[in-house]
Amino acid sequence: MMMNDRDVQRKSKSGCGLERVRNVGVLMTLALCFIVSPLLRAQTAEDGIMLARQRLCTGFFYSHESWDHYWEGSLERMNGNVGTVTTQSVLWTGNYAATNKLNVLATVPYVWTKASQGVLHGQKGFQEASFAVKYKLISLPISQLGALRLIGVFSAAVPMTDYTPDLQPLSLGNHSKRIAGRATLNYLGKNGVYMNGTTAYTLRGNVKLDRSSYYTNGQLYFSNEVAMPNQFEYTVSTGYRKNDMTIVGSFTQQQTRGGGDIRPQDSPFISDRVNFSKVGATLTYPIPHRRDLQYWLIYSNTFDGRNVAQSNTFTTGFLYTFNFERKRATP
Amino acid sequence: MILKKRRLPPLLVSFSVVALVLTLTSCSKSISSTETLSAITPSGADANAGSWKMIVLTGPTQISVPAPVATTDPGYQSELAAIKASQGILTDAQTSAIAYWSAGGTLRWNEILRELVARSDLPPSPNADGTYPVPSATNPFAYPTFPFSNPPYAARAYSYVSVAEYEALKVAWYYKFLYNRPSPFKLDPAIKALLPNSNLPSYPSEDAVEAGVNSALLQLLFPTAVDEIAQKAAEQEQVALLSGRATASDIAAGEALGKAVAAIFSTRAGADGMKAAGGNAALWQSLADNTKAKGEVPWVSQDIPARPPMLPIFGQVKGWMMSPTDFVNERPGPPPSTTSAQMQTELKEVKDTVNNLSRDQLATVYKWADGVSTVTPPGHWNSIAVPYVVAGSYSEVRAARVFALLDMALHDAAVGCWEAKYYYFNPRPSQLDPSIKVQTGLPNFPSYVSGHSDFSAAGADVLSYLFPSGASYFAVQQQEAAMSRLYAGIHYRSDIQVGMDHGKRIGEYTVRFAKTDGAN
Repeated sequence: MMMNDRDVQRKSKSGCGLERVRNVGVLMTLALCFIVSPLLRAQTAEDGIMLARQRLCTGFFYSHESWDHYWEGSLERMNGNVGTVTTQSVLWTGNYAATNKLNVLATVPYVWTKASQGVLHGQKGFQEASFAVKYKLISLPISQLGALRLIGVFSAAVPMTDYTPDLQPLSLGNHSKRIAGRATLNYLGKNGVYMNGTTAYTLRGNVKLDRSSYYTNGQLYFSNEVAMPNQFEYTVSTGYRKNDMTIVGSFTQQQTRGGGDIRPQDSPFISDRVNFSKVGATLTYPIPHRRDLQYWLIYSNTFDGRNVAQSNTFTTGFLYTFNFERKRATP
Repeated sequence: MILKKRRLPPLLVSFSVVALVLTLTSCSKSISSTETLSAITPSGADANAGSWKMIVLTGPTQISVPAPVATTDPGYQSELAAIKASQGILTDAQTSAIAYWSAGGTLRWNEILRELVARSDLPPSPNADGTYPVPSATNPFAYPTFPFSNPPYAARAYSYVSVAEYEALKVAWYYKFLYNRPSPFKLDPAIKALLPNSNLPSYPSEDAVEAGVNSALLQLLFPTAVDEIAQKAAEQEQVALLSGRATASDIAAGEALGKAVAAIFSTRAGADGMKAAGGNAALWQSLADNTKAKGEVPWVSQDIPARPPMLPIFGQVKGWMMSPTDFVNERPGPPPSTTSAQMQTELKEVKDTVNNLSRDQLATVYKWADGVSTVTPPGHWNSIAVPYVVAGSYSEVRAARVFALLDMALHDAAVGCWEAKYYYFNPRPSQLDPSIKVQTGLPNFPSYVSGHSDFSAAGADVLSYLFPSGASYFAVQQQEAAMSRLYAGIHYRSDIQVGMDHGKRIGEYTVRFAKTDGAN
């Protein structure tokens, strides 16, 4: 039965396959961007490949993100009152394959921020925990070349603590509950050709501040509650992936469907219209003689945007895959 | 078995998707930008308000309002006919405008004023060479737009608008009960009363008085908002007419009265010392030199690049209830010397506090931050007064009295506080100990005494006099506001304690006036 599924066949050779790791990696990258640009959200499962059933792929990442330029509305500038803002984080992630078609993912990020100049106090703490369900809708073998897959993902994120989102840009995040729907189309060739396109739409819940009024988008609101505009995002990526070795480049754009601009010399606000374009690269490498352990390195750069930091992010970590099916099968 | 398992998940997935979408949408709703206020029916007409003590005017007859024509006059009759015609074809926009203004013009104009303050509460961005541009009242639309409504500017703006409106309404009340022209809906049964009715004579229209005085002063203080201010004023006057409360001639007389009072206040504002409050480079240097000569560490800006101090001569701006001598007499004694053991103790307390905040303390910091892009602390105290004014079901003139008294005290607190800040030119904790990092924006002016503490004590003092039942609540708010600055790491305890004592003494000047103003 499973032998008919080329994807699984291909994957089951290896431990923590590219796909699930990459999911986490992208999620990770975006989770980190999120810290700087409060309107980004942690994403899950951007690729189109599934972890084979009854495997758990889990591990930790460390990430270092920094920026000294940002877009105040569409004006690119620096700000002496923060200098270079650095956001570091440690993130636990896990992806469990209930079946070959259904993967369940979770992440827990711990974040700390600081500014190199000025007097603002850095912040630290747990950010939003996220959960995702990833389901393979269609898998189409294409002759002897490879396979095309269509994947649907539903994800949700919930703040883990009552940290304040009101000290931008040093707050840990924007403290909004989020749910997102995602569709991914993926081609993986037997020769290692990897092509992926994915798009997501995120709904964000209102956020409560500790104050009774706030000014944004040309209006003073006499409320402690902030409506968060929804967000649209897509990523295309391509590269090589074979035997758990991956080199992939990606391009991402995000649009926020509403919200205001940062005003001159003002701080960012949680419901700002955060748009960006970024490029990134991901390298994964299976540790020799430890096929179940995989090393990860991710880089991304935001090169254009609005109300967002011009950030560079390096992420590195290890993921390990446990194969419960194998263990169970062995008496 | 495996097959069964593989069938289930899509169902579970879609179920959980639906459940989560429902959960999220149920807590996600649009936020109204205006204050939710219901229609006010004044509990009394305050018919003697024309004799209440004036603050700037010499008396109500300083403004002349000509006698209205008789209600039998054909011109007046055609004004009534115009109301009837308009009431027959009310648009949805007009109906919502009537609902909006039914909360009372005093409350609505105060809300508009707070919004204008928040919008203009932005410090200018630095130039490429590290200097800062200065907003210009003569060229308000050019960046940086005029004004930068920082706390002293805002305190002054709230007070000008509130005091002028209060004076204008007292004049209006004087003429209303002098001429006793009934409301249109009383004279003509075919005219509906679409706003709560207080049996108030309609000439001159109190709504138009408010529209006239507020629009003229707001356009002076926030010139870039000229169009929307004019639109609000026109809307309020139209509502007065459509609601059957005033005719065209009631409105014309009211607007003229409001503008005449505004002109007196505009003249006062042009000569109250505000124009010179920014000082100049030589003065900024002398503040530092004088402090050094006293053997103290002078304040320096911790903005990067360093920004000139905020309005160092604001302490010379004219007060409402206090003379220049009063401000000097009330000036607090000196802060602990920057080299003293007590200062070291206080500095350590700041550092220990800001690095060990509870979530509740942090919430207090943000509740009272009132920094850039906010209504500022004086506006926060105006917001605190709103529910008490609503609950009192006050006439317009009595509601205006609340904001006038409150905002006079807040302005005087601003002047007194700034006088002390620049007299002592005392450094912030994060200047004396650069390892102290703060939890909210660091204000760009000297530390001693705390503005939040000064404002809040003055505001709480006046509101406690006006609303004794709220006194314990105001006291709690005052303590919170003051202590939030220690939690945030931007003030020493002595800034806060001395600031509250100072604010209380300043508030008492206004309370003493209020006790004898004829309104009790």
